[in-house]
Amino acid sequence: MMSSGHSAKVFADPSPSHNKQPWFCRRMWIKLTFLSLSIATLLTAILGFQFELDQRHDQKSGRLESLRFLPQGEVLRLALLGHHHLGADVIWLRIVQVLGEDVVAERDYEWLNHALDVVTTLDPQYVFAYDVGGTILAELAHRVDWSNRLLHKGYDANPAAWRLPFILGFNHFFHLQDYVQAGEYMSQAARIPGRPYYIDTLAARLYVEGGSPTLALSYLDSMLQQTTDPQLRSVYLEKYKEVMVARDLQNFDQAVERYRQARGKLPRALSDLVNEGYLNTIPEEPFGGEYRLHTETGEVSSSTHPERLHLYRPHEAKSFKKSI
Amino acid sequence: MRVLSIAFNTFRENLREKLLYNLLIFALLMIGSSVLLTRLTVGEWDRLIIDLGLSSMNLFGILIAIFVGISLVSKEIDKKTIFTIISKPVPRYEFLLGKYLGLVVTLLINTAVMAAGLFVVMAYLKAPFTPMLLKALGFIFLEFLVITAVALVFSTFTSTTLSAIFTLAVYVVGHLSTDLKLFGDKMGDAGKAILNAIYYVLPNLERFNLKGHVIHHIDVPATDLVLTTAYGLTYAAFLLLLASIIFQRRDFQ
Amino acid sequence: MSTDTIIQTEGLTKVFKVGFWSRRVTVLEGLNLEVRRGEVFGFLGPNGAGKTTTIKILMDLIYPTSGHATLFGRPIGDNQAKARLGFLPETPYFYDYLTAAEFLQFYGHLFSLRGALLEQRVTELLELVGMSHARNLQLRKFSKGMLQRVGIAQALINDPELVVLDEPMSGLDPVGRKEIRDLILRLKESGKTIFFSSHILHDAELLCDRVAIILKGRMVACGRVSDLVGQSATQSVEMVVEGLSAEGLEHLRPLAEKFVTQGSQVLAVLKNQQQVVSALEIVRSAKGELVSLTPHKSSLEELFIREVKGLEPGLREGQ
Repeated sequence: MMSSGHSAKVFADPSPSHNKQPWFCRRMWIKLTFLSLSIATLLTAILGFQFELDQRHDQKSGRLESLRFLPQGEVLRLALLGHHHLGADVIWLRIVQVLGEDVVAERDYEWLNHALDVVTTLDPQYVFAYDVGGTILAELAHRVDWSNRLLHKGYDANPAAWRLPFILGFNHFFHLQDYVQAGEYMSQAARIPGRPYYIDTLAARLYVEGGSPTLALSYLDSMLQQTTDPQLRSVYLEKYKEVMVARDLQNFDQAVERYRQARGKLPRALSDLVNEGYLNTIPEEPFGGEYRLHTETGEVSSSTHPERLHLYRPHEAKSFKKSI
Repeated sequence: MRVLSIAFNTFRENLREKLLYNLLIFALLMIGSSVLLTRLTVGEWDRLIIDLGLSSMNLFGILIAIFVGISLVSKEIDKKTIFTIISKPVPRYEFLLGKYLGLVVTLLINTAVMAAGLFVVMAYLKAPFTPMLLKALGFIFLEFLVITAVALVFSTFTSTTLSAIFTLAVYVVGHLSTDLKLFGDKMGDAGKAILNAIYYVLPNLERFNLKGHVIHHIDVPATDLVLTTAYGLTYAAFLLLLASIIFQRRDFQ
Repeated sequence: MSTDTIIQTEGLTKVFKVGFWSRRVTVLEGLNLEVRRGEVFGFLGPNGAGKTTTIKILMDLIYPTSGHATLFGRPIGDNQAKARLGFLPETPYFYDYLTAAEFLQFYGHLFSLRGALLEQRVTELLELVGMSHARNLQLRKFSKGMLQRVGIAQALINDPELVVLDEPMSGLDPVGRKEIRDLILRLKESGKTIFFSSHILHDAELLCDRVAIILKGRMVACGRVSDLVGQSATQSVEMVVEGLSAEGLEHLRPLAEKFVTQGSQVLAVLKNQQQVVSALEIVRSAKGELVSLTPHKSSLEELFIREVKGLEPGLREGQ
């Protein structure tokens, strides 16, 4: 149609409306200054209030409280609409933060138990959370019952995670002195593919040696090999030394007993045991103290840890052997 | 071809409305978290970066699918631009399909760019890459297809605000439908029937959620993958048909 | 129906349901229209009379409650009919993120126009509506008048036989309206049928071969402008005289229907030709000076106002 000779313009050419004013005029400057001043003032006020509020409330304990009052995992899982794995990550991140800040009062680990339950309900396959969580509950919170419950929950949901029965075994061995159950868990761990080689040895020795200090040292050795967290490592190292004391004391006891039976009297000093050939050497006390002999009873004790470790009790070891 | 022209125009609109700026936020999130993660010691942080990446891709995409989806048609009606389209030889269903495709292409590009970003961060953090990640991304996209179609259906007959509310409701209930069914099994016959109906009628969006499978390296059987894909595509097709029927019958005031 | 019938409606009725209780509002009732090839047809009526509703039905945007309509002898919604049609909606908003050229290309694609042919049409149309300079400018930077122009270009992209314009002149300044009028005449010259709605009767009077007037959803008049105006024409003449003597004034006053003095000037409205002759005689004899003498034809507007008043009492009159 238009192409058939009617290409003449019907319309005049208007331009798009330009009614810009020079932007640098004076009133504009005043306005701009006023605006930027207002913005600066308000921003400062916001930051000030924020800072003031932060000062008033202890943020660290606030974070802890937020974990204590987390809603039940089942409820939270629904509310997260399919993003529950990320939810588990975020809560785990908080747990790690709070633990790292060292604000946790002694004996107050209720929140940790709850938060770990929430994390593992949000993501039942979060093996790492059971593993570390279970260890922390037992070693830092000294709540083996919580630890075992968490580890059981994890072991039920993840039968292929050898670390979980391994730690359960550790708990039963160290904290509950239930060597039968410990041996049971260890042999379960020893059946799971992917475990380190020493698990099998540990399991076998548990049946034979029960609660002997050398076995405990091997056990702790394996724990130390698997742990990188400095806080947990220091706990294990402490324990390791304690068990070393226990082992030394056990050796002393045996030497004293042999001395008494051969000589019909108690040694006067520990050096007697070495001089007379009942001991090779007097071991160093691992905490930097010394071993002392109680000349009247023939008992040896450590200067740093006068209480004997509640680990090795010969009569229990015997009953353990009987029960096999 | 008309469908493609409308799709291309919709895609161009999304680009020029600066919709893809959401990628900047995603980039900041990824960079920020990877910097944070390299400073943390206790934890399996590979899984956090994957969780964070997948979840934010999912959320950004869903937000776009819902809020751009509901305005796909209603914006054209409000601005009366639809008058010039429908009066041309374009069947109404073609218009609808074109709008849908346009947004889907936008989402595809958006998701692809975010996925590339995630891969880069994973490579930087030396997090292992698994084929499961690609499957999970595919399923996230499948969820976008369904949610966009839901938004489209609502926007063919209600206001923008109501469409947004309804689509969000479908999204929420769609993620809870399995739980609702379990809940219904504990109820009386009437409650059970109602919740069962909801379970079967609304899309079961949890089926498209493979995020857990990626971080825990759990495999999904090929048959399940195929069936779920078929489920998602069929559901989207059903919604598009529904939207076309409603759209065909309505007046443009 | 002859092949020259472009638009035809029979008993077109639209009832809207309003509000929560679905109150029924009849916006169009039994409309019968026929637009023939090559006509410029004006569809007139006040705001809310049902003009846009009718156009929307014809454009397949809403469905009639009852009645029937055809375009090119085909039912509404037929793609072949739509292919021969161009439409400019009322107060158009367009895809403001597109440039003028992209905008027209997009509509060209909907008609399967491609490549060099489309490029040529876009250039031609932009030239036609005087928008060549804004070819690569986004529509969001356009003024209302500029939007109206690319809107018209959009309606012409498929070289349609029928161009439907909904209120093409509303909101434009006098220059813009003149330009649209010129364009419509130009389209008519190139053999197109033009159907446009307006509430500005002056435009219609200048342009249309035929008009239809609708009020409250019903057609009250339809036909050639001259016929409609002629039917009810009662001509009058407006005379302005200066420097008339007092005596002259006294003579003139009884002749006039309306008589207004302002300073030395007098305005007199005279009823018929005979009175004009007598009045001129009086002016001459009273040595007055004739300033102007304007014959006043009855306009479409007067007809229109009469019709509105006639309908007010609720009389059901035949068309």
